[in-house]
Amino acid sequence: MAGAGSVRKEGKTMWNQIGQALHDSMARVMTQIARLLPGILAFIVALVILMVLGWLFAALLRWVLTAMKFDERIGRATGSIAELSPQHTPTMIMTRLLFWCFVVLGVLVGLSAFGASSAEPGVPEYIFAYVPHLISAAVLLFVGNVLARFLSRSVLIGAVNLNLTYARLLALGVKWLVLVLTVAMVLDHLNIGGVIVDLAFGILFGGIVLALALAVGLGSRDLVSRSLERETAKPAEAPAEQQKVRHF
Amino acid sequence: MAGIEFPAELQKRMEETAPVDLLVGVTGAVDVEALRVKVGRLRGLALDGEGSHPSRIAVAYAGVDSDDPVTVTEEGVLLARYPMPAAAGEMNLWRDVSNVQRNVLALAAGWQARACMVVYSDLAALEPETVRTFAEPVLKGGIDLLMPIYPAGKYDALINKSLLAPMSRALYGRRVRWPLTADFCAGAKMLEKLADGSRVKSEAGLLWPANLVAMQGGQINQAGLNVRHAPPGEGLDLNAVVRELVGSLFEEAEANAALWQRTRASQPATRYGDPYPLVEQEEPVDTRPMVESFVIASQNLEEVWRLVLPPATVLELKRMARLAPEQFRLADAVWARIVYDFALAHRMRRVSRTHVLGALTPLYLGWVAGYVQEVSGATAQEAERRVDQLAKVFEEQKPYLVSRWRWPERAV
Repeated sequence: MAGAGSVRKEGKTMWNQIGQALHDSMARVMTQIARLLPGILAFIVALVILMVLGWLFAALLRWVLTAMKFDERIGRATGSIAELSPQHTPTMIMTRLLFWCFVVLGVLVGLSAFGASSAEPGVPEYIFAYVPHLISAAVLLFVGNVLARFLSRSVLIGAVNLNLTYARLLALGVKWLVLVLTVAMVLDHLNIGGVIVDLAFGILFGGIVLALALAVGLGSRDLVSRSLERETAKPAEAPAEQQKVRHF
Repeated sequence: MAGIEFPAELQKRMEETAPVDLLVGVTGAVDVEALRVKVGRLRGLALDGEGSHPSRIAVAYAGVDSDDPVTVTEEGVLLARYPMPAAAGEMNLWRDVSNVQRNVLALAAGWQARACMVVYSDLAALEPETVRTFAEPVLKGGIDLLMPIYPAGKYDALINKSLLAPMSRALYGRRVRWPLTADFCAGAKMLEKLADGSRVKSEAGLLWPANLVAMQGGQINQAGLNVRHAPPGEGLDLNAVVRELVGSLFEEAEANAALWQRTRASQPATRYGDPYPLVEQEEPVDTRPMVESFVIASQNLEEVWRLVLPPATVLELKRMARLAPEQFRLADAVWARIVYDFALAHRMRRVSRTHVLGALTPLYLGWVAGYVQEVSGATAQEAERRVDQLAKVFEEQKPYLVSRWRWPERAV
């Protein structure tokens, strides 16, 4: 009986210890959260204030640039930008750039405030060091997307004007090649995946090229041969037809 | 002088010899000996008197020499050399010609010429009778611009017939057959305006003399000119030609939108001299390659066309792609609206401008296929009437362009 009582007593003590341990850890977590809360709040406040400021300054800049007829003045110089991204006027690009500069500034100020009010000094430094990677990755992704769309359309229209029946296939191939290259560069920039990304990119890129080669060489053999036959037959026919129809 | 500067020596000699009655400007480098022979024939030419008093004529050509830039020939004609403007690049059809034309017009303005006749560098138009035909109405009649009508067969200059001329006529209200020409004669009032190349945004802006003079409210007439020039830019593909010529016309339309929206019906441009000769072309033309280009485009370019054209037009194009080649026709009203929609897309930059013009090329070939089939059995005169009918349809459809230009987002 005495042994049973001792076991029951030890079990009770153990439960007490577990309860105590849980209580202590809960208290520690709550304390941590309580310590982080002012930092998080400071981050949000800093971000919101700078976003509002960014919006105001962007509106002001848009007004000034519109009054200055900025788009018309630099129309010549921005011809190539407009070709790549036709729906974005120079004014729009400038105002958006200013707004996003304020957002990035807000994030940095917020992180700094977070670091100042937090007892964990390592986190903000780590994030600070990572921010430039994030920004350049975002820029890479944007440029890659625009470039993929532009090149794909250029190839499509060029191939159609050359009477190539597989124009869409070519355009799709170019688009995915550029996109895959962009994603690989972005991941590399973010230090995600390491060697796996390089390897996966090599396999995927090579796979797309091989798939295109197979599609052109085997899958679309008849289609391609018909197109090529037409192309090779053209020089003999074209001069006679060209003499009959003059465009200019 | 419209922003074009000439060497100080030339400027000085011009001031010493100014004014002249007529400056004949040759656009480009020439064989100087051949030019001297042609200039010799202008001796004693009286252009604005009763024939007794010879006009003071200067002939200018592009060239560089250390000698006196202005000399007087034995026949009493002033012969001037002006520096050739920098080439706009190898891949261009008309940009270099337009730049040189502007230089010649600026030279005439600096020389205080009462008229300036621009002639192409092959010198085909530098004949006394031609100079008289072109310069007399300007010097005597007070005409602001005299444009040529070249002899053309029914299958010639199709980009001009299908797009450049009808759209220019609809927008600027003058029935000019050739709005983009190698030879023309302008009066003193218009010289500086024509020489000014700063109106358009891009460097590729071509010189559209008739459209510019029409916007100034000037008087434009036409005269037959029986010469056939070899077009520059030999070997350029159709896409590059469309990009340069149509792109420039669309750019002009954007720059002058406030003016052409006020222009209502077109006015005829009086024709001088005998009816221009037409070249009969009897040989049949195989339209299958053109129809094939159109069909391939309709299978592949739908995503681009949908960004430019309203759904009803895209549907119509898809329907056409299913037609047998011999039944293939692009209705005039549909073609006119397509051109206007592309002009609007060019302005709005819905797609990059290079892509807009690239996507127009197969549609143009579709129009050519339909037109060739339609006029295959017709005479050149009947084909001309057919082209005139198309120009009228462009005018009828102008309210569509004006409406879309003003409210581009409104559904059609």
